[in-house]
Amino acid sequence: MGALQQVVDGLSAGSIYAALALALVLVHRATGVVNFAQGEMGVLMAYVAWSLTSAGVPVLVAVLAAMALSFPLGVATERFLIRRFHGQDGLVIVVVTVGLLILLNGIVGAIWGYVSKPFPSLFPNEVIRLGGVAVTVEQIGNLVVLLAVVAGLQIIFLRTRFGLSLRAVADNRESSALSGLAVNRLLMAGWGMAAALGTLAACLIAPKIFLDPSMMNAVLVYSLAAAVLGGLDSPVGAVVAALVIGVAENIAGAYIDIIGTDLKIAVPLLLMVVVLLGRPQGIFGRREVVRV
Amino acid sequence: MNARIRQPTVPWLVRVAAVVVALAVLVILPQQSTPYDNLQITLVAAWAVVIAGLNLLTGYAGQISLGQAAFFGIGAYTTAITALHGWPVVLSFALAFLLPATVGALVAIPAVRLRGHALAMITISLPLVAVPLAKRLDGLTGGSQGLTTPIGSAPTWSGLADDQWAYYVVLTVAAALLALAHVAVRGRTGRALSLIRTSEVAAVTTGIPVRRYKMVVFALASGYGGAGGFLYVYCVRFVSPESLDFLLGITLLCSLVVGGLRSSAGSVVAACFYVYVPNLVGDINPEKSSLIYGAVLLLVLLFAPAGIAGAARGLWRRRKLLARKLATSWPAPSTPTGYLAVAGSTETSQEENGGLTPTRSTASNPSSKTR
Repeated sequence: MGALQQVVDGLSAGSIYAALALALVLVHRATGVVNFAQGEMGVLMAYVAWSLTSAGVPVLVAVLAAMALSFPLGVATERFLIRRFHGQDGLVIVVVTVGLLILLNGIVGAIWGYVSKPFPSLFPNEVIRLGGVAVTVEQIGNLVVLLAVVAGLQIIFLRTRFGLSLRAVADNRESSALSGLAVNRLLMAGWGMAAALGTLAACLIAPKIFLDPSMMNAVLVYSLAAAVLGGLDSPVGAVVAALVIGVAENIAGAYIDIIGTDLKIAVPLLLMVVVLLGRPQGIFGRREVVRV
Repeated sequence: MNARIRQPTVPWLVRVAAVVVALAVLVILPQQSTPYDNLQITLVAAWAVVIAGLNLLTGYAGQISLGQAAFFGIGAYTTAITALHGWPVVLSFALAFLLPATVGALVAIPAVRLRGHALAMITISLPLVAVPLAKRLDGLTGGSQGLTTPIGSAPTWSGLADDQWAYYVVLTVAAALLALAHVAVRGRTGRALSLIRTSEVAAVTTGIPVRRYKMVVFALASGYGGAGGFLYVYCVRFVSPESLDFLLGITLLCSLVVGGLRSSAGSVVAACFYVYVPNLVGDINPEKSSLIYGAVLLLVLLFAPAGIAGAARGLWRRRKLLARKLATSWPAPSTPTGYLAVAGSTETSQEENGGLTPTRSTASNPSSKTR
């Protein structure tokens, strides 16, 4: 187990954190909300995917179907819950999303129970040896999926009219409305896309840590840390930060005795504290100017 | 609007009478009820202290915290460990307050510079670190098995059963702590905190030492969390890493909001909500109750944002109006159903616009549904 092995493992974990971090950034850019329930929404849909696979649907189809179904879930959350609290202070919005977190946790527990379930991997269970480093197909797959998602998002945001409108709404909601954009629909679309990403993250990590109603809690902390580190409004920043965090926690876990495997979660927490104190806008983010 | 805010909510005589009656009931109760019921009420008192601490921080100072569970855990473990080593109870209690308060002050050093979701993001991670930490220090904490501790047995001179003794001790301490918290946020301090909550910039400009205030409140809230942990262990005599679960910190905040922010009665209501929901669900595993906690929280946020205590206060304020409404609607005029439906819809629009819509049909149709 060399350091290189830790880096490879870290990149694989980091790409999953990156998917959820992207979802957080997407929602934050569009609506200024940090959605603490993002991971839990993913858990719900990952359970849906699990039910599909146990009904005999192939994994890939099940995951894609769950992602497609996540879209209306995200849309409904924005339309019927978040929008009602638009313009209220941050405390209320945080409480709303946190309430949604435990509500969804309870719903998942009530439907599927609290016993962990194995989740089939999207990728074949094979190991490739590259100069002393064992790389699983799953690890490569996670990275490839992430890169595909990033590329897809970049194309949507930078090359399509829809992406341009989304960026306009994120930048200035009122001006966008005045220039005739269907702001509400765009916000719903943003939440829908984020929900699909969250589901993808949950389905990617589920084979490793098993399906459990609370499986995304730790992932949420990693992804929050990544989003904060990269800047809550910078998708590229969030992805880079997530990969860095994935590598950092693996190396710290392997080489720093006090941390070990069980306290790895302290790494993103410490990183988050340091960043928020030193550079609250994150490394890639823009400074937020508040008018009093 | 201003006049309504300044208006005394419930006359003090009514308040004092209510408190006296409640105290009398609470003193007599444990003689009559089962040990199980006594334990439940004792737990409500313990959690009321934890939530009252959170109320100081989140309610009054407006600093959101999802990590109160971690401080509760520090207090609970401190109590269990010191009691195992035969420390006097008073010392245990002091340490269970001071240790989390100190940790809280340390956390506050970075936390006071943050607000809103940044603070939430830091504090939500605290229990996630606390649980593996408690498991790691198994020489001290008993690892994932938890610790059973000899504390809270009734002395022979009292002639009380253990549950009754714990009941009286915990309720007395909790009442004192709640009264202290109630007094602490009156007057100058309360006004300073509410200015920090509504506008930090304004608070700084008026010369309020914002960071010092926030730090003290953070430490105090953590100390209350720890004291609640002490009271919890005093009646349950057991603590394990499960008692500082990730969801606990969130559930505590949910309960506080459901009970009502910035209200001492709200903290007690919140504690009742927290303790009795699992009973209603018919399960001791707190995870299964999260569905109810979450659903009730969202309903409260949507329909009664001031929480149960706030809604009750609102009802009391409008009691005369409500009484009149009820009296007039009692002999309900027999109206055709189609007409009623139309009237109903105009009523809602009237409410939304603050009663400024030209009244077409509502005036002729007094109904108990209008506020």
